[in-house]
Amino acid sequence: MSQAPIYDLGVIGGGVVGSTLALLAQRGGLSTALLDRGPLCREASGVNAGTLTLQMTRVALIPHAMRAHAMWASARDWLGHDVGVVVCDGLSLAFTEREAALLEERAGKRRAAGAPITIISRDEALRVEPGISDRTLMAGHCVVDGYANAYLTGQAFRAALVDAGVAVMENRGVSGLDRTDNGFVARTAQGPVSFRRVVLAGGVWIEPMMAWLGVHLPIKVLVNQLSVTERIRPVMRTVVGIASGLLSLKQYPHGTVVIGGGWQGIGDRERGGVELVPERLVGNIRLACHAIPELAGARLARAWAGLEAETADALPAAGPIPGIPDAYVCGSIHSGYTSGPSIARSLADVILGREPDLPLFPIDRLMKAAPP
Amino acid sequence: MIRPADCLVLGAGPAGTEAALAAAEAGLDVVLIDEQADAGGQGWRAPLSGLTMPRKGADAEAGDGLRARLAASGVDRRLGRRVWSVGGAFRLDAVGPDGAEAYEAPRLVAATGAHERVVPFPGWTLPGVIGLAGATVLLKAQAVLPGRRVVVAGAGPLLFAVAAGIIAKGGEVAAIVDMDGRLAWARRLPGLARRLDLLKEGLGWTWSILGARVPFLAGHGVRCAAGRSEVEAVIVGPVDADGAPIAGPERRFACDALAVGHGLVPGGEVPKILRAAHLYDRLRGGFIPELDPYGRTTIENLYACGDGTGIRGARPSAVAGRLAGLAAAHDAGRLDATAFTALAEPTLQALADYRPFADTVAGAMALKPAQVAAITPATVVCRCEDVSRAEIDAAVDAGAGDINQMKHFTRCGMGPCQGRMCGDVAAELVAQRRGVTRETVGYWTQRVPLRPVPFDTMIGSFDYADIPIPPPAPL
Amino acid sequence: MSLVRVSNGVTRPAAATFAVDGMEVSAPAGEPLATALAAAGLLGLRDSPRGGTPRGAFCHMGLCQECVVTVDGRIVQACLTPVRAGMQVGLGGTLR
Repeated sequence: MSQAPIYDLGVIGGGVVGSTLALLAQRGGLSTALLDRGPLCREASGVNAGTLTLQMTRVALIPHAMRAHAMWASARDWLGHDVGVVVCDGLSLAFTEREAALLEERAGKRRAAGAPITIISRDEALRVEPGISDRTLMAGHCVVDGYANAYLTGQAFRAALVDAGVAVMENRGVSGLDRTDNGFVARTAQGPVSFRRVVLAGGVWIEPMMAWLGVHLPIKVLVNQLSVTERIRPVMRTVVGIASGLLSLKQYPHGTVVIGGGWQGIGDRERGGVELVPERLVGNIRLACHAIPELAGARLARAWAGLEAETADALPAAGPIPGIPDAYVCGSIHSGYTSGPSIARSLADVILGREPDLPLFPIDRLMKAAPP
Repeated sequence: MIRPADCLVLGAGPAGTEAALAAAEAGLDVVLIDEQADAGGQGWRAPLSGLTMPRKGADAEAGDGLRARLAASGVDRRLGRRVWSVGGAFRLDAVGPDGAEAYEAPRLVAATGAHERVVPFPGWTLPGVIGLAGATVLLKAQAVLPGRRVVVAGAGPLLFAVAAGIIAKGGEVAAIVDMDGRLAWARRLPGLARRLDLLKEGLGWTWSILGARVPFLAGHGVRCAAGRSEVEAVIVGPVDADGAPIAGPERRFACDALAVGHGLVPGGEVPKILRAAHLYDRLRGGFIPELDPYGRTTIENLYACGDGTGIRGARPSAVAGRLAGLAAAHDAGRLDATAFTALAEPTLQALADYRPFADTVAGAMALKPAQVAAITPATVVCRCEDVSRAEIDAAVDAGAGDINQMKHFTRCGMGPCQGRMCGDVAAELVAQRRGVTRETVGYWTQRVPLRPVPFDTMIGSFDYADIPIPPPAPL
Repeated sequence: MSLVRVSNGVTRPAAATFAVDGMEVSAPAGEPLATALAAAGLLGLRDSPRGGTPRGAFCHMGLCQECVVTVDGRIVQACLTPVRAGMQVGLGGTLR
């Protein structure tokens, strides 16, 4: 009987962050195991709105979002598989004076961080996107925008990971993580998995994962509602949002329109997105139909909720875990689908002993003593 | 505006209507909601308003009786409503004739019925090919024949009901193509004989079919439907006892309609959305909620009854509905233990008496795995998204291990029918390709809306300023 | 070719006239539009969005969505929509 291998790296959590990390680490020469309690990219990474916009990205994440945008746009080259990425213009609309002020402030700060966002008039916005309401006052316009087809993420990453030789362990829930002389052992129902280094990349489940190592890192759980129409004739051609960030809207080439924006449903870490709040679904759809009036003729085909992780300061947890050598955390990235691949790339660089081009977000700032 | 009540019943078929009646008789304020304009469900449908036709048969009588009792009851009937959201404990959101509506009650009875299973074959998407259940709607509620010359094919009792219905209305049946051999029906006779009244009805269908001298092909299945823009012919061939095609002479029947069905699949969206525990029961048609003898699900104060909880047929469903209604009333404190037992015991007995018959009927309508295994690679399985069997197989080979992952890989089940038409067969294909159980493959994660719902009706008229937009995300 | 209304012993509401892509069609008022269209020989109502194959009413009970048409510009399921005089029906489904 051959001895179970000790992997150079174990990544726990197979969303876009964990999958990107595992892929880059393996390609960088580390034998890597990727464990997930379910199939790859089936939580937030598979059910988010797929928006690749800078106009909903936190200012501190703009450089990562721009690099990740390029990574998504070239997924066929580095991932080798299609995630249905479409690069197009993006508009962030303002319908009221208050929103116009908010838009100018927010676009200005994002522009200062490097995002190529300009403020354009209603008429200019209507030229960029003839589908928008003529009640638009002004718009933030960005040529670096677009979207992916989130539900294809798992399929694409899975194929790339298997091709690269990563040990993909789906449906393998980890119940605990033990430190040993030469690394870590993950306990699973199907037997232990050993590795020298570990990355915890479990999205909203980072908090219980960190507890395995005796580290308390509070992670808030957002329950984002989303909805999609059936296939309809073209009613829009760009990514459309509003100044406050409470709307994301785009029509896929096959005709469905996905509506997001982070309206909150009911759910938690243990049970997932349990329930949608009808009034909030209606509110989100009213907003969408206000922005793109022709959308009102469509039918709702499906609505769902996905969990998003948020730290106390709403910035990522990405870096070494203080006090535990060879252990790292990566996740809780605001609009994590947009920026995730870039942050994962920076952490992969660190693990591979390279200087990252873009900075990580070490968690020392977020650490609290474990509750007694 | 929210209409509060003691108990909501979703689905006004035999099960839901009986549940509503039983709960209302015990003093509960009951709201009964359905999409159709009249109670009765699919099997006991009323004729269209303003249409009169000669009606006879047990279903017509049973349906009319049910509607009369409902009309005389205190149940608040909200028909012609499309319920799109179910949540909380419990709230239903609907669109009705006057726009958006909402209902709230501490108890909910789900009685949403079943839908037809059609195991795909080449040409099944051609216009003119319809379900057997659809054909019964045309015949019984609309006095319409499915075509001038109709091939009736598939499995189960609906086959004979539809053929006999066409003949009775003066139509032409080109052929009856029954997957089951004569032996299969002979074996079912003892079970069917437990309900002589219903067996008699079945024999009546057979008699009229014999009288019309319609070609009857036992042990045969549809190989394909042919035609350019509409069905023009059906080619049939022999199948074995498991439903797999076998070598033998094929026959071609010219026709302008094919009515085809291979049994029923429990709908059961509501208990799935509310996350009640389910189990797979092939005899009962698929995944069904775990229930106690009275119809209580594993979610407190959520009840389920009727064919949505496993295929039994309309009459046993009506009895199960009454039980669920009694249980809801008892749990609400309106029927004390003595009264509940007095009412529930004979009802339980009535349900038990139906069991051999219901099992026999369900057996005739259960999925035949060998028939699914024989679907050809190019055949479309998901009608909405045109996903073929070959694409489903390829997704499984690429690592899709359960039904929802396969959906993500292929868009199978993502279309507007929400996976109803293809779900049972698609899951069976994944299970067979992987060599695992249906439990391993699972069922579609159920989402709202329960049916596609038009945005404009959902959102009504509004002022932008009144949209309760949450505070902006951090910058 | 078409659905056939049974006449023997059946009485129906008076006919209502409506338009299908500009063509005049009559059917008993209140009859499901899917039935009325098929009885008028209009079995194919749309092409499937991916494969482009012809589709018509399949389940006749509001589930399959194959009979989706527009009525006065709105997307509806023809099998759930009663015929009304003067309605403007458009074939071609939701992508029209």
